[in-house]
Amino acid sequence: MITAKQLTRKYGKGALEMVALKSVDLSIKNGEFIAIIGPSGAGKSTLLYQLSLLDEPTSGEIHFAGTETSRLNQAEKTELRLHKMGFVFQDYALLPELSALENVALPFLMQGMGRIDALQHAGNALQRVGLSDKADNLPSALSGGQQQRVSIARAIAHNPEVLFADEPTANLDSKNGKLVMDTFESLSKEGQTIVMVTHEEEYAAHARRTISLKDGSIVSDQ
Amino acid sequence: MRVGFFLAVRQIKRSSKGTTALIIFIMVLTFLNLVVVSGLLLGLISGSFVQFRESYSGEVIITPEEGRDYIENSPQLVSFLESHPEVDMISPRYGVGATIRGTLGSLPQNNERPNELSMRVTGIDVGREEHVTGFSRFVLFGEHLNADEEGYMLIGANLLKKYSSFADANIPGLDLLEDVDVGSRVRMSIPRRDGGEIRKEFIVKGIVKSKVDEISTRMFITDKELKRLLPVNKEQFQEIAVRTDYDYAPYLVNEVKNFMGNSRARVQTSDEAIPSFLRDIETTMGVLGNALSSIALVVATITIFIVIFINAVTKRKFIGIMKGIGISPGAIQFSYVLQALFYGIAGSIIGAVLTFGLLEPYFSANPINFPFSDGILVVTPLGALIRIGILIVVTVCAGYIPAKIIVRRNTLDAILGR
Repeated sequence: MITAKQLTRKYGKGALEMVALKSVDLSIKNGEFIAIIGPSGAGKSTLLYQLSLLDEPTSGEIHFAGTETSRLNQAEKTELRLHKMGFVFQDYALLPELSALENVALPFLMQGMGRIDALQHAGNALQRVGLSDKADNLPSALSGGQQQRVSIARAIAHNPEVLFADEPTANLDSKNGKLVMDTFESLSKEGQTIVMVTHEEEYAAHARRTISLKDGSIVSDQ
Repeated sequence: MRVGFFLAVRQIKRSSKGTTALIIFIMVLTFLNLVVVSGLLLGLISGSFVQFRESYSGEVIITPEEGRDYIENSPQLVSFLESHPEVDMISPRYGVGATIRGTLGSLPQNNERPNELSMRVTGIDVGREEHVTGFSRFVLFGEHLNADEEGYMLIGANLLKKYSSFADANIPGLDLLEDVDVGSRVRMSIPRRDGGEIRKEFIVKGIVKSKVDEISTRMFITDKELKRLLPVNKEQFQEIAVRTDYDYAPYLVNEVKNFMGNSRARVQTSDEAIPSFLRDIETTMGVLGNALSSIALVVATITIFIVIFINAVTKRKFIGIMKGIGISPGAIQFSYVLQALFYGIAGSIIGAVLTFGLLEPYFSANPINFPFSDGILVVTPLGALIRIGILIVVTVCAGYIPAKIIVRRNTLDAILGR
């Protein structure tokens, strides 16, 4: 599904240049649950942002479902993220003025779905993460764990081909962290492709494939 | 657009009520600045136009053609006007230049100017004049004339040293009567063409004052008495003020001109008869009003720009997240434009309600007291609508630009707060 070839990402110029990713080659297949691990500054998040088209590599190629993504303009990349990808961020990234239900419904609306249908689909997604009773709550009225589950509901509601998660448990206590990982595991069993960045090996163990990064290079892939 | 609307509605509904109220309040002030300030400036002059019409000219005023002494065929014209179905009432007036002497008991000493001045005397039909201009309201001191009495006159306040606003200015050539007040005896002299003059003494029965000069700088006696004193052309009038519907006035002017045929007279609507210097002031006030409105618009633009910019900057992370999950930049920008539109429309509606529901009736009932007019608020629905349109266009631009600046920034930088 996703293939990265000689992926390099550099920041800064001249003496200040810093190489975050060094000629990374990677292939992700449908249905895989991948954990990207490594110490701080290893390039985990940078790799995730490249794969999810949130950032552009300095050099190298990314193919998504057969499409060479460097040929896409920003609007086409946005469209690709809307239809094919889901995102779970470390700090939940819910819009504060929208209720849980509305947050989840937003991508559906953007896809052109009618308001009533979008809200219905969003309700179903919230049910999957066990938060039907919190649908009308604003994010500020939810706990961290609940917010992250709403974020997961938003990410999976439109059945994306791949779910990207950037340190999804970093801000959660162990109980909520486990709840999130259980949800991911359940999604994975349903065939959902998941690419997750984490620095906690305990959570990485839930994944079926673990890629270790160090200083911008893959040091193990098993 | 649907997503933009969806976001905008929720952002407005769930943002701080105090902030929203403050922004709308600023927009209301901007609207008032745009409409009311220029409206009041124009109102100073329009107020004088209204007073000129209400107090002196009526909707149509007929006067002698330039270089002529009287309105030709006045009696026939009066009959025509009196029988015209659209004419409510007319006030034909006699008028002649005369000299008034205020000190009768003694002659001036050497090097002392006589206490006299030359001005226009107007003969009025008391009843008709009351109907057309409500003349009795101008009697500031003393009493109004009775229809049939003789030997009494009303004198304009601006002719008397005691009452004139220019009395203390010592303007060369400006003659004012001293020691003349209600009850004083004065002597009027009307020159004859043979070089002689007609003299008659009058008792000042009242002092008249208005912001219309044609009243405050004239003397008034009954038309019957002036007619008797006039040396020639006793049947011909010098002014005819016509009360009719304001909108009908231009048509009546044409009808009167057609009726007059070859007879000479100047027939004008009250607006046409306004002195040109007042028109010049009106133009100047209009320019000033537009200048102030432009400043108000610039202030509104900057205000909305800052509000939307700060709003967008503080939500930069969320804008990044929206772009990250696939919400198009256009939809996000549209949501900010809609918010700006909401502020503009809400401010304009409240401003319009305040203007038409409160300020315009208030200034109509309580005009601003200016030396030369009673200032009213001049604002038409069309004028207000145009200004609302301008304000909204400006608001939308001021909302779009900062939203575009923020939305264009790198998505990942926005998400990570870099």
